[in-house]
Amino acid sequence: MSSKPKIGVYICHCGVNIAKTVDVEELTRYAVRLPNVRVARDYSYMCSDPGQLMIREDIRKSGLNRVVVASCSPRMHELTFRKALLEAGLNPYYLEIANIREHCSWVHKDKQEATAKAKKLLQAAVAKVRFLEPLQEKEVDVEAAALIIGGGIAGIQASLDIANAGFKVYLVEKTSSIGGRMSQLDKTFPTLDCSACILTPKMVDVASHPNITLLAYSQVESISGYVGNFQVKVRKKARYVDFNKCTGCGLCAEECRLANRVKSEFNMGMSNRSAVYLPFPQAVPAKYTVDPQSCLYLTKGKCGKSPKCADACPAGAIDFEQKDELVEFKAGTIIVATGFDVFDAARKPEYGYSDYENVLTGLEMERIISASGPTGGKLVLGKGDGEYVPKEIAFIKCVGSRDKSTGNEYCSRVCCMYIAKLAHLVKDKIPEANVRIYYMDVRAFGKGFEEFYDRVRREGVRYIRGNPSEIYRRNGKLVIMVEDTLTAKPLEDEVDMVVLGVGLEPRRDAREVIDLLRLSQSADRFFLEAHPKLAPVDTATEGVFLAGCAQGPKDIPDTVAQAKGAASSALVLLSSGKVKVQAQISWVNEATCRGCGYCAEICPYTAIEMVPVNKMGHQVTVARVNEALCKGCGACAAGCLSGSVQQKSFMDSQILPQIAALGGKS
Amino acid sequence: MLDLDKLRALAKETISRDDIKYLIGWRQGTYGFRTSPHFVGNLEDAEQLIFSPLCSSNLATYLTLAEKRPVPRGAQPDTRRVAIMVKGCDSRAVVQQLVEQGIKRESVYVIGCPCEGIIDRRKLEEKVPHTLERVEARWENGKIILDLPAGRAAFPRDEIVAGKCLTCRYPNPVIADVTVGEDVEVRGSAGFEDINWLEVKNAQERWAFWRDKVNSCIRCYSCRNVCPMCYCAECILDKLNPAWIQRSVNVSENTAFQLARAFHLAGRCIECGECERVCPVEIPLSHLNRKLVKEVSEQFAFTPGIDPEAKPLLAGYRPNDREAFIL
Repeated sequence: MSSKPKIGVYICHCGVNIAKTVDVEELTRYAVRLPNVRVARDYSYMCSDPGQLMIREDIRKSGLNRVVVASCSPRMHELTFRKALLEAGLNPYYLEIANIREHCSWVHKDKQEATAKAKKLLQAAVAKVRFLEPLQEKEVDVEAAALIIGGGIAGIQASLDIANAGFKVYLVEKTSSIGGRMSQLDKTFPTLDCSACILTPKMVDVASHPNITLLAYSQVESISGYVGNFQVKVRKKARYVDFNKCTGCGLCAEECRLANRVKSEFNMGMSNRSAVYLPFPQAVPAKYTVDPQSCLYLTKGKCGKSPKCADACPAGAIDFEQKDELVEFKAGTIIVATGFDVFDAARKPEYGYSDYENVLTGLEMERIISASGPTGGKLVLGKGDGEYVPKEIAFIKCVGSRDKSTGNEYCSRVCCMYIAKLAHLVKDKIPEANVRIYYMDVRAFGKGFEEFYDRVRREGVRYIRGNPSEIYRRNGKLVIMVEDTLTAKPLEDEVDMVVLGVGLEPRRDAREVIDLLRLSQSADRFFLEAHPKLAPVDTATEGVFLAGCAQGPKDIPDTVAQAKGAASSALVLLSSGKVKVQAQISWVNEATCRGCGYCAEICPYTAIEMVPVNKMGHQVTVARVNEALCKGCGACAAGCLSGSVQQKSFMDSQILPQIAALGGKS
Repeated sequence: MLDLDKLRALAKETISRDDIKYLIGWRQGTYGFRTSPHFVGNLEDAEQLIFSPLCSSNLATYLTLAEKRPVPRGAQPDTRRVAIMVKGCDSRAVVQQLVEQGIKRESVYVIGCPCEGIIDRRKLEEKVPHTLERVEARWENGKIILDLPAGRAAFPRDEIVAGKCLTCRYPNPVIADVTVGEDVEVRGSAGFEDINWLEVKNAQERWAFWRDKVNSCIRCYSCRNVCPMCYCAECILDKLNPAWIQRSVNVSENTAFQLARAFHLAGRCIECGECERVCPVEIPLSHLNRKLVKEVSEQFAFTPGIDPEAKPLLAGYRPNDREAFIL
């Protein structure tokens, strides 16, 4: 333990932010009189170089061994001042910040009262700093591999970036092919690039990259460990097709007894596939999968005399004996790119999505328009002889977005533009079609968006401001009930087809990912980033990053940009090879710990383990903190019934004097 | 009606087993309506075992209280099981201790004693004079029969049993390796009507009520000592640095003490009522505890001390938990 505390107090004016409301000179005069305080100074910007120099000089010259800085929130500059202490040769954890800006000057007007409060805060910080103990920052090694969950465009981009930087990547995709939602899109706004044309080369790169291990048709089963050393267990689901033997020739699918009788997920159920299938022609890996939900052999136990797929396969790749396989590996960092789900239009029953076949969602329209879609790119309604080309086509925006009744208050950010794009494509295919878009607002905020919106309007697409209240059928046509809110006139619009601009929602299985990684959700239920502005790809779990729509709705350019951001954050960890761990962590008094395990249950980072120890010859269980995992959140300390868990720098013996000072007379 | 001979035979058989260290039960006390905890280590001790409406104490306390003496170098610690007789409420204490890992399942052998209600000595003494003679009691057809010096007397159960027994929903042990006697009928309701009269009061009135009660607290800590859920190696009340609660006996410190005790029991109190029974100044602690049980039940649909596999309530989180209490 160090010698008697010699405290230096540094009071920041923060320009006028503090000085305007708090009498800093008076505060300085007050500070010198506090017990154990050797020097007290005030300065316009303590965080500036001269400010820090002042602290360093005093430490060197006056032999200070404790420092209190009265300034802004410790979230702003605690690290800055810790560094200053370190540079002057003092343990950086001998620092206490009194927050006299956010907690005082910004929230008060009366100078006298604010000064009195600042005195209290300062007195409390001085009371605490005397009892602080030096802490050591430890480093742990980082496993030179990344786990990427989700093989959409975000996951693909992040994988390629990390792999190209020379690190190992494990890309885990739940479905049988990577590509994600982007592979279902036809053209992309606003440049009208063909989605598949720009995506498939990247998919192929992933498959052929020597640094990428692609685990498609797989799910992460468990993740333990901590930043730098995650232990990952992945379940590779049985494809019932030998991955190495399958050449992707497709004979099995042609011969399957259920050929063209199972709904294709890729085409949104609008076309059929076989029970053994490739989700779409460009799928990566180009290996067939037997769908265990529909395959006769797997569901009924028999398929004619023998399964036709197995008979047809020239490579003998069909293997109904195949079992799920568990793959285990270590990863230093994790990127979550699990994407989104499309809003279920059936939740807006007034639009009749479940009742009328000519009411489609945007994603279904993408498939219809697409050359690889169910109609081969022809926009026709009806079937067989009743086939006809629609003339009157309406789009409705904000279906399931900006709508409190569905619980989604947010804007899905892509609908305005994808509807403009679809409207353009409709006009392209059927120039004589009357296309109108019912909208609340048009948000064309991105690069080239406004120009595209303008172009679509010039092409003759009508924008009508109004949120339709109902769609019903009359004489074989769909009637949209709506008020044109610009002219305040109610309309009954008779159309051939309606496309609902459905929004983006958090994935329905998001809970699984949350439980795996202990992620948080924001109010919109998407995954929560560590800081909306300054740490937009980080999460509260160190070493875990977010990319793409898992974090919130975004378009392809933003998704790719964020994926690159996440990859770069992951690479910082991977390339430095070391990671510093929290020093202000929890500590267990094993003598009084009664082994109830409350702390271990509470810990959001699984940083506490219950371990057996020998107490006077008896085998007892006590809690032990994993120093690399602990983030110092203090939940365990609050939860411990016997007060045996304490958080360093926030021990009872340190914060009680602080609380006492706040309660006492100044 | 419980057959004492059978109980004693079972006890003898139990303590004769190699894996049993001793058996904790009850025996007649030295005078009046008293009974004592009884630690049965041999066949002779077993002859004194009883189970009657006077067996009020919750013996589960002794499971965690047992001193762990240092084991001499080279010797093996005695890991034999402790056999314990439990009533319904006591058995919940055992379960809750298991949940909190205060004890291990393999270190206890639970002898379940279905219970029709325990005599509240204070209620009884209002009806019959205090006596130094040993009094025996038993349940019979919904009544409690007492062999008083003046002769046999029968009282309707509900007139003399403890308040906790009137609301008891678990008269039959929720955990037992072996059961003595027949299961009994559950009479308590799942509601909390018993504390309604206090709940309908406003905050000032409630505080006036509690201030008056807490004011009389002499800080003997009997409630803590008897509580089967209070078994920290170092209690917050005994800590000197930091001294969370001052030693002085006054309303402020007494309230701090009682609130700390109550908070530490949230989601853990199994309503054995021992705290209230032993309180020398008759603070109605069960009202405080019942309020906690009510909150826990209404907010989290949780009842402590039922399922040994359950997670401790306040250490768990379910996304669908009600959060009405969060401001």
